[in-house]
Amino acid sequence: MRSLQRFVLAIALYIALVINASLALYLHDFFSLGSSTNLLLPIGIMLIALFDDTNKNEIWLALGAGIISDIYFYGIIGIYAVALPTTCWLLQKVARFLPEVFWARMLIIIIAVVGVNAYSWLILKITGVINVSALDLLWSLPTTIGWSFLFACLTYKIWGSLAIKYPFLVNLNNYQ
Amino acid sequence: MKKFLQNKKLLSVCIVIIIIFSILGASVSLRNKRSTPLVIQSFGNDAVAVGTRLVDYPISLISGTLSNVHNLLQTQDENNYLKSRVTELQQTEARNSSLETENKQLKSALKLKESLTDFDTIEASVIARSPDSWSDLLIINKGTTSGLKKNMAVMSGGGVIGRIVEVSAASAKVELITTSDKSANRFAVEAKAVNGKKVHGIITVIGTKSLAFTQAVDGKKLKRGTKVYTSGMGGNSPKGLLIGTIAATTHDSFGLSDLLKLRPAGELNDPTVVSVIKRKVTD
Repeated sequence: MRSLQRFVLAIALYIALVINASLALYLHDFFSLGSSTNLLLPIGIMLIALFDDTNKNEIWLALGAGIISDIYFYGIIGIYAVALPTTCWLLQKVARFLPEVFWARMLIIIIAVVGVNAYSWLILKITGVINVSALDLLWSLPTTIGWSFLFACLTYKIWGSLAIKYPFLVNLNNYQ
Repeated sequence: MKKFLQNKKLLSVCIVIIIIFSILGASVSLRNKRSTPLVIQSFGNDAVAVGTRLVDYPISLISGTLSNVHNLLQTQDENNYLKSRVTELQQTEARNSSLETENKQLKSALKLKESLTDFDTIEASVIARSPDSWSDLLIINKGTTSGLKKNMAVMSGGGVIGRIVEVSAASAKVELITTSDKSANRFAVEAKAVNGKKVHGIITVIGTKSLAFTQAVDGKKLKRGTKVYTSGMGGNSPKGLLIGTIAATTHDSFGLSDLLKLRPAGELNDPTVVSVIKRKVTD
């Protein structure tokens, strides 16, 4: 069981992906009001990166989570598979200079949410999957930010505790 | 050029960007061309679909209870409406039964085994949806093991809502009819004009998720309220599946061809249970 502790974050991200998919279905009426995007899983990756900024393994974890998300949601690899590891890497860099307070982290998450949303719009537009104008993307940002802020607040403690207690592929018993 | 090649960071970034776009292009091409996804892709889909089903169960229980309360509040109105339709329904059932018998006799007389209108249905539940509101993708809990294939039509709430774009062993992706995906297959449809003749065309998406009956030769002969059905042409869906009714008749932006706006018959907004249509006649 102890060896499983190294994969707790991966299991948690799998659960987040599953909940993300279910919430997108059951809360579709609410999400579609402002054409917003459900970013529960990317927010998880962002919070992990901010809480544990020294663990490079988490970039690989983000890549894995991104590939599986892309396969499951779109059948196209290159949306979350690029956005999640890039965001994780950038936020780990930023976290070193960022005060470890809730509001500072929320501000960075909001900026990252805008980036992830704009990137996924760009790729879906380039591949011809969607035909949504840049103006529509701008209109969707306030509600997406609102939902993301809510998800970040609700899961802040959970991801914080998981990232500190069970860093990905790091055996903390070696340091005890 | 020499300077560029010596700058390792810049070179690495360029290589990464090329790899990303190659993978993206390859996966888009595979998605559009292949009838079944790669084994690894199929495994990934099913691995997440299993988890989604587990999570779906408690969420659907809560959601179902809330919807039951809402339905209960509307029972009186529904009851009054249904009472008014009962007599009509009995009459329709009797007529339908006699027409069915007559149809069977005529088919056997003509030695016709299966026609374009023959199809089987496979019931499935919607377990997930794409996280953004732009791409109209649903994920259902049935796959190749239940006999699903790519491009099968999907119905919900009495009308066509889309078609299957990717099918794994235990799950499948459904692209809604309102999708603006440029590579999506469009439905070949027909409608009965005022002079009794059939008008053929295809379903296209205009503006933001509005359906239109386009490429119709005699679109002017179709009046508002006319029902539009699949024509069975194109080889994927059977004939006679309801798409919607004509809501308005206008011209396209060039003023050259008729543009018939449709009101979809299917439950496009919140489908929870869908029927996948398996055409009996093969290509």
